[in-house]
Amino acid sequence: MATAEGLYALHEKRIRDAVALKKPDRIPVVPNGPAWPGRAMGVSIADIATNPPVSRKTIVDAYAGLGEIEGIQSPAYHVCTLSIQWLSRVKRPGRELPADELWQVDEAEIMKLEDYDKIVDQGFGPWLEDYYRTQLPGTLEEMGAFVATIPDALQLCRDRGLVAMTPAVATIPYEYFCGGRSMKEFLLDLFRHGDRVQAAMDAALPVLIENMRQTIRGLDLMGLWIGGWRSASEFVSPRLWNRFVFPYFKAMVEAAVEEGAIPVLHYDANWTRDLERLREFPKGKCVLSLDGKTDIFKAKEVLGDHMCIMGDVPPALLALGTPAEVTAYCKRLMSEIGPEGFILTSGCDTPIDARYENVKAMVEAVA
Amino acid sequence: MSHSPLALAVGDLEEDKAITLVLDKLAKGEPALAILEELQAGMAIVGQRFEECEYYLSELIYSADIFKKAGAPLQDELARCAPKSFGTLVLGTVKNDIHDFGKDIVATVMSSNGIKVVDLGVNVEHQAFVDAIKESGATLVGMSCLLTTVFDDMKAAIQAIKDAGLRDQVTILIGGGPVDEATRDYVGADHYCRTAQDGVAAAKQVLGVS
Repeated sequence: MATAEGLYALHEKRIRDAVALKKPDRIPVVPNGPAWPGRAMGVSIADIATNPPVSRKTIVDAYAGLGEIEGIQSPAYHVCTLSIQWLSRVKRPGRELPADELWQVDEAEIMKLEDYDKIVDQGFGPWLEDYYRTQLPGTLEEMGAFVATIPDALQLCRDRGLVAMTPAVATIPYEYFCGGRSMKEFLLDLFRHGDRVQAAMDAALPVLIENMRQTIRGLDLMGLWIGGWRSASEFVSPRLWNRFVFPYFKAMVEAAVEEGAIPVLHYDANWTRDLERLREFPKGKCVLSLDGKTDIFKAKEVLGDHMCIMGDVPPALLALGTPAEVTAYCKRLMSEIGPEGFILTSGCDTPIDARYENVKAMVEAVA
Repeated sequence: MSHSPLALAVGDLEEDKAITLVLDKLAKGEPALAILEELQAGMAIVGQRFEECEYYLSELIYSADIFKKAGAPLQDELARCAPKSFGTLVLGTVKNDIHDFGKDIVATVMSSNGIKVVDLGVNVEHQAFVDAIKESGATLVGMSCLLTTVFDDMKAAIQAIKDAGLRDQVTILIGGGPVDEATRDYVGADHYCRTAQDGVAAAKQVLGVS
């Protein structure tokens, strides 16, 4: 019987082969999302949200129990990470919501227009610390305590022979500001105060990159999410996207690769328009992870010889479909996107109400 | 088709120009209703450019804000003459979901295209949709969600409309992050709208507006 270390090495090789656009001996499956494991294992969502020892055990047990998987995108979770990156309040299960309901970002205009100037004047780091303390009290302390638990989550995975592929998240200034300002106000800022926004983004970027570098080194990460959701092509015209989105992703991706980590571009919503631009990212070093909204088959056509593609069993299919439908979709992904340069997973998180037999069908599709 | 300078200013997202033109027209005594129609013609240009992939959500939001700002000086006179709307839409994010962004965009874009919106907000009880349809006489209902967990709430809200005997009176449009055609079938809605502009097009089609 293979040891945990032996299994880990095998799983890591499969993932690294896929990233390098080689054909692994098996298409890797790397599921994602903290909420579904809670529902599947009968653990309260409040515990998943705020109790890292419970969430990591639940996540690893739930996904590992489905059959052979190569890894889990993140075995560590605390809901404070949403506030940290969205600069937003979050309604929590067990606090503002019933204990078994999913957390929800409470989008509001907390960051003010003048904060762009403060970021430039004070520096992004001091401004951000002040913002967390005054607007989202307690978040920094929770984040500090959570980060201290991540090594335990990584070890738990490793002990089971599983790769923790992306246990940390980074994103571009756009996503921070968009969350803090609320999307409508932020998009209006891009038209009415574009220079002020860009100056703040330029001040924030080096700080975010340095934080990301420290995280990669500190946790010795194989990979991390570099995520985009509101910066998706479907929301922003090319003129704005080329100015406020792409250059910042490029700088972050290049820095992550320089650190030896695999940037997993966790791109929610529809990015089809700009797939060609992603060819500017280093070849064979990144993963494009899609949520079912971007045309993954077009992504293969445009990027198949350049970047590993990951995804994208749609949340609605996992929640409403049948195992046969899930299997059929996964088989199509494996034959048309794979077998080389492909990792199978859900589109974004496995939704909390995904049917157990559907998630199992996804995992078992690679047999 | 030729457009007035004001319609073009809105269509070209020239905010200052649009505001100045409205003020000039008011100063010259042009009726508010006629000016409003020019602003709406500008929004139609925006909608067309959106469909042609020249504009995106960013431009939809900006144009709607220009419409609102430029139209603000017209409101007193419009309140007196009660401009005709093409129809009424009852709109809300369904029960157990508090996400309002998509729903708010739909409200803004529908309003600026001449459709009266009864906005019920977020986390809307099923019965509230029924009550609002009865009170407003709406022929359109828009339901939004960002969570797959509330598909059953969407379905239940539509069932409540059915149970109240109102289903034949209304066309139900749905949208939101995880929503797709399969969701439309599952909940029993009439149209899945991928974007707010899709919603406008569907609403105009239902209302017989070109």
